[in-house]
Amino acid sequence: MSRVSRAFLSTASIFVVLAIWLLITSQAWVDQKILVSPLTLLKQFISLSIDGYSGTPLYVHALASLLRTTIGFVCGATFAIPVGLAMGYSPALYAVLSPFLAILRPIPVIAFIPLAILWFGIGEFSKILLISVTSFLYMTVNTAAGVKAIPEDVLRAARSLGATPTQLFLHVILPESLPYIFVGIRVGAAVSWAVVVAAELIAAQQGLGYLIMDASTFFRIPVVYVGIALIGVIGFAIDRLISSAEKRLVHWSAR
Amino acid sequence: MKDSGETSRIEIVDLTHTYVRGRSQVAAFKKLSLSIQQGEFVSIVGPSGCGKTTLLFSIAGFIQPTSGRILVDGELISGPGPNRGVVFQSFALFNWLTVRQNVEFGLQMAGVPPKGRRPRSDELLGMVGLTRFADRYPYELSGGMKQRTAISRALATNPDILLMDEPFAALDTQSREILQEELVRIWDLTRKTVVFVTHSIDEAIYLSTRVVVFTARPGKIKYVTSINLPAPRYDPHVRTSPEFVTIKDSVLDLVREETIKQFAEEALT
Repeated sequence: MSRVSRAFLSTASIFVVLAIWLLITSQAWVDQKILVSPLTLLKQFISLSIDGYSGTPLYVHALASLLRTTIGFVCGATFAIPVGLAMGYSPALYAVLSPFLAILRPIPVIAFIPLAILWFGIGEFSKILLISVTSFLYMTVNTAAGVKAIPEDVLRAARSLGATPTQLFLHVILPESLPYIFVGIRVGAAVSWAVVVAAELIAAQQGLGYLIMDASTFFRIPVVYVGIALIGVIGFAIDRLISSAEKRLVHWSAR
Repeated sequence: MKDSGETSRIEIVDLTHTYVRGRSQVAAFKKLSLSIQQGEFVSIVGPSGCGKTTLLFSIAGFIQPTSGRILVDGELISGPGPNRGVVFQSFALFNWLTVRQNVEFGLQMAGVPPKGRRPRSDELLGMVGLTRFADRYPYELSGGMKQRTAISRALATNPDILLMDEPFAALDTQSREILQEELVRIWDLTRKTVVFVTHSIDEAIYLSTRVVVFTARPGKIKYVTSINLPAPRYDPHVRTSPEFVTIKDSVLDLVREETIKQFAEEALT
């Protein structure tokens, strides 16, 4: 199937689902309180964009969440990539660290919120820490897997061409594991963005997570929908952005 | 000891390599000795799993033998080094580098500045006919072109010895024959000492000055034969000459015998 026809199908499927949604709600087959009409949503989105939510413009909420995600994700990556490379390089280090990572990974972030508050208070630090720890957990595994997946022959070829251990690391191990590191970055960015809502449950005054929590407290259901939809759309945009950077930077992978 | 004329280029003495498979110790080869002279083209043939590649990788310095020694130019080898170029069955190219950057890799590691590397890569790419593909990436190349790149890469630092591990096994028959003919030409031009591991008896006889037949595991040298056909063999039709066929027949019988033994041994274990 060609790229164009795939893009067409994806776009068409979005419109079909929207049309069905519109039909169900306009015919009042489902109570408006349960399922909001897409038109109501659009109106809500427009009014939120103009008037803001609880005195803060909508874009500021979105930017607040994005900023937390970015800082948390960058901190996570800064630690995850070196640690992952070292784990892939040293089987001993891998054996020492991997059980902790494997046990921590499946625990939902919400479970850590009380502890984060207890240890670090309700400030920004707790929120960003939760994001960076989560993205760290995912990125280390992928980076380590990248190093472990390097074919033995490639390392041997480099050594027989006179590469010193440092050269081997910089000129072979690092670029060779880059495709895996990028997979880690994609997954890490996705979980960071997903975690932001949970992180903003900790006494945030701004952000999409705060917006959803606050609106649901006051039963402003259309606002909740707008918040959810925005998180989805922005998450999708982040993924596309990283994926296009990936295509250019690691053009040799998957061919 | 270097260039004294008395030592061989490669001297393998009482080499034994055992490895653990499951709970048992398996000997890849036992007490193996072989001398290879400067400028020889030596092929090693034998049944699968007879330790041909293990021996080649021991000479390369990738594998530490269990006992015995390998001397290159009279010096005990302790690891891989740029005096021994290696060509792999899997090509083992650096996928993120262009063809030219792959070829220049060894020079780059040695600290040669980009301007200094260029003439050498130009020369080698010209020799293997890849000048037009210098700026392509390995994933854009056919198998034959990938292996040409790998051969140029191995030659770039001008090693004395070229170690080739079934380099053409992953190629289709046509590309394989063309690359064999190119290797004859490259060997004639560079006069490297070549150790060549292969499954193909045909290939071994066509390329080599000497063919070494290995026994079934644990590998020992069953038979060594000098190929008394004028080398280098530029004319590919030599493959169908009566002399060639006679040599091939005798080697074929030896390898078949060992392969049957190897099957029997594997059926028992």
